[in-house]
Amino acid sequence: MTNSAEPAVLDTERVARLRRAAPALLLLLLLALASLLSNGTGGLQLASPDRSRVDQLRRAIGELPNDALVLIAFDADLGTYPEIRAATRVAIDDLAAHDARLAIVSFTPDGRAIAAAERDRIARGAGEPPADLGFVAGAEAGLVRSIASVVPESAQGPTADAIRDAGGGIGAFAMVLVVSGSDISARSWVEQVGSRLPELPLVAIAPTFLDPELEPYLRSGQLTALLATLRDGVAYVEAAAGSAGSNPGPTPGPLPMLVGMLAAIAVLAEAALRRFARRRGRRPKGRAPA
Amino acid sequence: MNGFSGADFGGTLATWVAAIVTIAVWSYLAGWRRLFVVMQHLLAGLATGYLVLLAITDVLVPRLLVPLVERPNESALLVPALLLAGMLVGASWLPRPAMAPVGAILVGGIAAYALGGAVVGTILPQIAAALPAGRVASGDLAGELISLAITTLVLLAFLHGAPRGRLTTRAATVGRWLLVGGIGGWIGFLVVSRLSLLVDRIGFLLGDWLTVLR
Repeated sequence: MTNSAEPAVLDTERVARLRRAAPALLLLLLLALASLLSNGTGGLQLASPDRSRVDQLRRAIGELPNDALVLIAFDADLGTYPEIRAATRVAIDDLAAHDARLAIVSFTPDGRAIAAAERDRIARGAGEPPADLGFVAGAEAGLVRSIASVVPESAQGPTADAIRDAGGGIGAFAMVLVVSGSDISARSWVEQVGSRLPELPLVAIAPTFLDPELEPYLRSGQLTALLATLRDGVAYVEAAAGSAGSNPGPTPGPLPMLVGMLAAIAVLAEAALRRFARRRGRRPKGRAPA
Repeated sequence: MNGFSGADFGGTLATWVAAIVTIAVWSYLAGWRRLFVVMQHLLAGLATGYLVLLAITDVLVPRLLVPLVERPNESALLVPALLLAGMLVGASWLPRPAMAPVGAILVGGIAAYALGGAVVGTILPQIAAALPAGRVASGDLAGELISLAITTLVLLAFLHGAPRGRLTTRAATVGRWLLVGGIGGWIGFLVVSRLSLLVDRIGFLLGDWLTVLR
């Protein structure tokens, strides 16, 4: 015998699930629509109007001597890299446009995976990818060891040779661009490398969640430049992509962000109203007249 | 249009796999947890495999085994490293007294680097940067005084259990609200950041996969 009520229960459950998911699905649909329309919104702007941080990074790159050795410390997280991807690509192109000799190294497995993918992308675009210094294990201990020696034996080419000629360690570089993630962030670089090589300029690109942690280092001068919010990143892309001859791919349009923010505010307001209504429902009614 | 996949067969296949996996993860929104759990297991398995491969190809072979085999006279310090690595691999079979020193060396080494770096690289330079002595006045005296007042009030908000007067209690309340305001402002930035990740995924599906945005 079969229970005839079972399919009805399943259908009810499925409808209830879909009803719970409806706001999220609606948000996805709205964001997709806004992504399609975002090219035509001239009145909105995501880039930060305060260009001081962009200027700091551009000045640091512009002041590099010709053929300067620059180390890209690539330790971004897989989860947050899309937020800083465009700014990172433009910075790499900007460095290459200033004739810097680039080398790339990673101290985290995530960073190594993204660095390898970025090198492949640059090579596919007929550009010269940065010299590959590979993955260094040991987290902060690895960072300290790299001050003495960062070039693996297997590394070949003129850039690797130039680093070896200049001592073979991090001190051989004229600047370090730290593409930051959570495990090895620019803070690790300031603490472990900056304290040992105080003359070495450290510039950083980091996702927003690291901004409160890194901003004090920018204020104290331990970081020469820092891009740590989406708005700074977009402003940098707008300012530098043209002169660097860079095509970093699309940056988030302002319209999807506006839709998302409005949705977030609506969710907060709805939760607050629901709480308010529940409280009012619980409040004991006034005493009945005697 | 994230540019990671090429236009060849491998790139197209990678884009399709990434798109299907993205949609499978989003299926959690509609309550299909089983598919989401399968994707979680897939991610965990791939990450573990990648880590093992990275450890072998980038660390153990080139930095431990090759120097030991090719230049044994110059690599005397690598012998204890090999011993420690071997002990870590066989940790579940070895007695606890044998493993305790290995764990102590690891934890002690990591703590020494972290603590030393925090003191020399963060605490001392930040104190030095905050002191007005020895540097030219910034010209933003009002801003610095406001920063000092906010810092003091927020620090007072963390005074738990200490005896308080009425004034301190009020100052701590103001500090707590300032803290809430600061966290609120930061969360606003964070929402924008997380939205950008979601928009990027939608852009990937519409641009790289469906080619609607190209």
